[in-house]
Amino acid sequence: MSLQQNLDDFKAKFESGGPPYNAPKSIIEIFHRATDELRRSGLAERALKTGDRAPAFTLNNQDGNLISSADLLAKGPLVITFFRGHW
Amino acid sequence: MELEALQAALPDIQRLGANLVAICPELEKYGRSVHRRLTLSFDVLSDRGLQIASQFGLAFELPDYLKTVYAQFGSKLDEFNGENAYRLPMPARYVIDTRSVIRSADVSPDYTVRPEPSETVRTLQELAKGKA
Repeated sequence: MSLQQNLDDFKAKFESGGPPYNAPKSIIEIFHRATDELRRSGLAERALKTGDRAPAFTLNNQDGNLISSADLLAKGPLVITFFRGHW
Repeated sequence: MELEALQAALPDIQRLGANLVAICPELEKYGRSVHRRLTLSFDVLSDRGLQIASQFGLAFELPDYLKTVYAQFGSKLDEFNGENAYRLPMPARYVIDTRSVIRSADVSPDYTVRPEPSETVRTLQELAKGKA
């Protein structure tokens, strides 16, 4: 199954209001409102896009070691995924 | 879900000579717990203060009504991220070439929408072809 199908299945289950999430309708509406507002803000369209230059970074990894984008790019192309968190 | 899907695609990504990192605003200890729980073999980087997410134009502050809901569900972003502000990055996936030029960008204001890892692999295949 594709990633998006998995996400769609999860969303359908969550928004059904049934178990295991038992999400109240009011909460689901709040999530919808927030997503709509973010979409309408146009922030995604202003983010860096294809053809732009990627900023360099040096950040700690999960073990506390510094990882630099320059070192990684010296070896080959780099895929970066930004995600929200462990929750 | 996305991290697991990318983990599954990691052999294809590496076969094409590329690397993969995940960037998240949380403190290292939370990155460590994700890394262990999902048995990832790529790095989870801690982007304190969303500095890098901001440079990519991805950071946003949650509206007050959403902060309340997050708090109810136990998502204490202030604790997780080590800052008072409730900020998050929009989910995004980038492919960057060895000259630091962005070759594909998928930014989603809707957190329930993500690109397939196979699309990312396809971009890397085209990059590899261009070089040959």
